[in-house]
Amino acid sequence: MFDSVDDVVGALGRQGYICGKNIGTVVYLATMLEKPVLVEGPAGVGKTELAKVVAQASRRRLIRLQCYEGLDEAKALYEWEYSKQLLYTQILKEKFAEAMAGSTTLKDAAERVGREDSVFFSERFIVPRPLLRAIQADHPTLLLIDEVDKSDPEFEAFLLEVLSDFQVTVPEVGTLESKHKPLVFLTSNDAREMSDALKRRCLHLYIDFPDSDLECRILEAKVPGVEQRLAADLVAMMQRLRKLDLKKTPSISETLDWARALLALNAKQLDEGLVRDTLNVILKYEGDIKKAHGELGKLLVKKAEEPAPAAPPATPAKKGVLH
Amino acid sequence: MQQKIVEFTNLLRKSGIRVSMAESIDAFVSIDELSLDDREVFRDALRATMVKRSEDIPTFDQLFDLYWSAFYDNLRGAFDSAVGSMGGEFDLEKLLQAIQQGLQNLEGQSDLDLSELAKALLTQDLSQLEQLIRQAAQGAGTERIENMLQIGFFTRRTLEQMDAEGAGRQLRDLARQLRESGMPDAQVDALLDLIDKFLEALRQAVRNYTERELQQRNFDYMEKFRRESLLEKSFYNLTEEEIRKMREVVARLAQRIKNVLSIRRRRLKRGKLDLHTMLRRNAGHGGVPFELIFKERRKERPKLVILCDVSSSVANVSRFMLQFMYSLQECFTKIRSFVFVAELGEVTPLFKERDISLAIDRALEGGDTINVYTRSNFGHAFHYFWQNFLAAVDNKTTVLILGDARNNYNDPRGWCLRDIHNKAKDVVWLNPESPSAWGFGDSVMDKYLPYIDVAEECRNLKQLSRIVDRLVL
Repeated sequence: MFDSVDDVVGALGRQGYICGKNIGTVVYLATMLEKPVLVEGPAGVGKTELAKVVAQASRRRLIRLQCYEGLDEAKALYEWEYSKQLLYTQILKEKFAEAMAGSTTLKDAAERVGREDSVFFSERFIVPRPLLRAIQADHPTLLLIDEVDKSDPEFEAFLLEVLSDFQVTVPEVGTLESKHKPLVFLTSNDAREMSDALKRRCLHLYIDFPDSDLECRILEAKVPGVEQRLAADLVAMMQRLRKLDLKKTPSISETLDWARALLALNAKQLDEGLVRDTLNVILKYEGDIKKAHGELGKLLVKKAEEPAPAAPPATPAKKGVLH
Repeated sequence: MQQKIVEFTNLLRKSGIRVSMAESIDAFVSIDELSLDDREVFRDALRATMVKRSEDIPTFDQLFDLYWSAFYDNLRGAFDSAVGSMGGEFDLEKLLQAIQQGLQNLEGQSDLDLSELAKALLTQDLSQLEQLIRQAAQGAGTERIENMLQIGFFTRRTLEQMDAEGAGRQLRDLARQLRESGMPDAQVDALLDLIDKFLEALRQAVRNYTERELQQRNFDYMEKFRRESLLEKSFYNLTEEEIRKMREVVARLAQRIKNVLSIRRRRLKRGKLDLHTMLRRNAGHGGVPFELIFKERRKERPKLVILCDVSSSVANVSRFMLQFMYSLQECFTKIRSFVFVAELGEVTPLFKERDISLAIDRALEGGDTINVYTRSNFGHAFHYFWQNFLAAVDNKTTVLILGDARNNYNDPRGWCLRDIHNKAKDVVWLNPESPSAWGFGDSVMDKYLPYIDVAEECRNLKQLSRIVDRLVL
């Protein structure tokens, strides 16, 4: 599927996902070793996006399982469709009478019903949920188990079983095996630490906030209209904001939102008034915004002093050769 | 290579990163899949397979640099500078060719037998050399090194182990024989010079290796110190630095308690059949109860009233206790916190306005409500609480008092605590002094003890977390 680490980085880049070699290495290993990947990192750095893009780049169909508290087997794996079964019994009532005809004793009748019960517990009446769909799919799939940290510990144990050999036993039907082993991505926001057993089976990828160079490239790829000078200022400001002790540190998705907002406002450069007015795009808590307002002078003055932020736009062109 | 990865795995384990057997096998397999020219890729592969906790990543990076990168580069640097110092006209290639020639001439005539080390030196086979140094160091027991003073000793032992002197002798022997077989004098001199320089470079490299070994060991030690001893270190003598680190440790412990809590909560869930919800949920199946719904049995979350002595003697204990309690806020329906020295004041609003660490700093300064620069008077504080806040205590409230009960010979007014005790669900007292000191000197702990349900010594983080654990579960 992928030939090398650079190939992965290139393929993801073509899909508009700019990343460093660390992500490329792990994705490449995951495809070669057929192991699940556990992606961790702060919110908004592109964990879910990575899975989506890998699916596109490797032409796999994406099947997504969103985890939440109380998610159980019935909602993740499969469920019997009770109402359909009931409906069928109603409709087939007469057929039953036929089948029963001639049975003299109760035991005989029960025997006959027993012979037919496989009709009602067959794949026809199973509602496949994401996990089963990934296993049964006729084409290669990518299974994204999103925010696995939100699920309950029991579900995690159950997940382990499925991830280890990709087969599911439905007692009434038998064992269903996967035709193509799905590529699995699990994402976690560190709401709770995952068990060691799960971690042991996965490759681990930690995506951190990008450095300013990478962030500039991402910005250019994702928000094409933005001017280089503005992009550099913006990224430099974000990098500094992240150093403040904030309740919710703004991440890449906030950078992109902000760039789009500035674009819509037709801004050519960052000045204090503009930043003050649009700060609520990147900071989501009143306390954070207040704090940033207080530091605003410092954040902007710093920029005037150091010419460094002007440099990054030159590098992306060079680094572009990578793709 | 395999040997090195196993060693590296051991190093990770020693530093407190858990790497299972399966994980190190993954590391082997993944390295087979990759080309190893790119060190970054190599590092990412090892990290993805062996390190599964984001907190461990910095440790891993440091160890990786220490273990993988520096040494080979260092070896290379030492030999390059050895060759470089030979002077302008010296041509290594030519000399090696000449030696090659000479060796062929000697073939069969002499019983020259070069050791592995001598061969590696002559051909500058650095990876072979690295291998040899590692083996020798193992033989010399370098991994037992403990302090700076031993570097010289272990360097010498390693060199002896690999018989560096013998190799030098053999090489000089070789040079002599080459001269006899008709090699030009100038070249032989250059060779002799080079041999000396290589031996010096080797000594350097071994010394460097020994130093690194010491660093690695120190690293283990530091890590262990950070992780374990903070838990048991008394709150009384913490440095600023340790207070900062301790804050992280408290946050982690609180997180762990929350995790465990979610599991235990769920086990409580199986209650009675919930007929109402079940009928409604199963209406789609014609009222046939396919799905059973049970009522949830909720463990009642306690209310918490915290009384903290913030006089300088116990301020640190108060700090971590407050942090702990507020990190676990969701385990309680309500927390009200009061601080006292002699006067008592409520600081609950502080925690609503600011984030925890700031609020705690302010609370320890008295939070604008009390004067902290007085002498402790528990009796007065309890009396004030009894007069003004007794309504805050009901039969679902746990009252948590933190203080050393050193009352400066004031009236203890135990009856106030008795009344609080009568109204509350529990009264828990955490005392940073050990029980043997209770009631001696100006301690009035013995006067209060009859009205306390749980009295515990709480002097370090381990004890604190054990108490918190009992409190919330």
